[in-house]
Amino acid sequence: MPLFLKKKNFILFFLLILFNMLLISLQAPLGERRNYLERAMFSVFSPLSHGVVLVFQKSTDFINRYFLLTKIKSQNEKLREENLSLRYENEFLLKALERYRSLEEIKEGLLKFHQNILTCRTITFDASNPQKSIVINKGSLDGIKRDMVVIDRYGKLVGRVIEPVTFKEARVQLITDVESGVSVFSRGRDILGILSGDGKGKCVLKYVLSTREVQPGERLLTSGFDKIYPPGIEVGEIISVVTNPTSIFKEIRVVPFFRPQELDYLSVLMKNPLEFLE
Amino acid sequence: MKDLQEILIGVGAGFVIFIALEKIFPSIFGFFDVLALVVIYFALQKGEIWGSILGTSCGLLQDTFSLGVFGVGGLSKTIMGFLTGYFSKKMDLTTPLRNFIFILILLYVNFFLWILLYSFIFSHSLDTRGGIIFLQPLCTALFGNIVFTLIKKFKR
Repeated sequence: MPLFLKKKNFILFFLLILFNMLLISLQAPLGERRNYLERAMFSVFSPLSHGVVLVFQKSTDFINRYFLLTKIKSQNEKLREENLSLRYENEFLLKALERYRSLEEIKEGLLKFHQNILTCRTITFDASNPQKSIVINKGSLDGIKRDMVVIDRYGKLVGRVIEPVTFKEARVQLITDVESGVSVFSRGRDILGILSGDGKGKCVLKYVLSTREVQPGERLLTSGFDKIYPPGIEVGEIISVVTNPTSIFKEIRVVPFFRPQELDYLSVLMKNPLEFLE
Repeated sequence: MKDLQEILIGVGAGFVIFIALEKIFPSIFGFFDVLALVVIYFALQKGEIWGSILGTSCGLLQDTFSLGVFGVGGLSKTIMGFLTGYFSKKMDLTTPLRNFIFILILLYVNFFLWILLYSFIFSHSLDTRGGIIFLQPLCTALFGNIVFTLIKKFKR
């Protein structure tokens, strides 16, 4: 028997190892982009996972709707109260806005605002680290494109859409991912920096000179200088500031405002919704 | 043909559990590597060829749902699948305890290989989620041992 037939198991094993190593090597020149095989697998399996999640969501909804009615009642009451307070707030803000814009301009702006916001739900979290990315249930058919900004239900920054984007699903890179970067500024002072994730649920504010004064408790907002995130979105709060004598930059740790357990409902900003105010 | 059908059902079930576990019990999701169990189960049944093929498939499937370097999970699971099939032929794994230790060792091999590749490529430390991640192979091995015993009894 020829030697290659005797060793065919090993040959196949080494071919598979080579195949995987080739895939790993391919990633280096591609950078943030995804290779065709990954895109193809995402296109096939993300609708499947979407389906599985939908089945579980529908069954949970069914049980909640028809068997656990007490929860629904209290939830409904809470939502009514919240709705009422938001209406008052809305009226108040509209009146305040009328000082700067005409009523027609405001109406037009609000229409654009609603058109530019798309609500979505999370299908899955990242399989290797939930602080890195999520998959949402909206895709290219809904108008989702790369670099669109994602906020949570309270308007706090969550991340941005990255590749792959399929017809009905898209991946979102969270701001807590180590590879992410957001240009931010401190609300209280004129401090600019780049916010990156630490991969452990928190963020770090980079490139703030050690001569600048920064205090824990300061709130950070997007600056808009990165041309991805529109300015003015709340990002997080500084929790610790360390001045290292050997470094020209401060070590600043930030806690993001979004909570991972509340990422079930999100919004994608199709355009900057506050564009009309500029 | 029957083999392929069985494997497809196994991978499908593993995928559904993988997604469902993450959605319904996100807090315990980090404790289990369901796709690794699928690879080990079929590698024990069908040998190292199927073990390595399934290792690549399940590993790449896992990589598809994670933002990282595509192929890292594939590589570690391919090695695990092959080792499972290869060594299981040379060992007596009839008792549940031996089976458990064997699965545990392989899961730790897969786990540390993945961590090694991850740290090498990304050059930064991995989020261990307060050390929980190190319990993943142990919990998966315990769960796997129970499931494999049940499947064996069910088949009889």
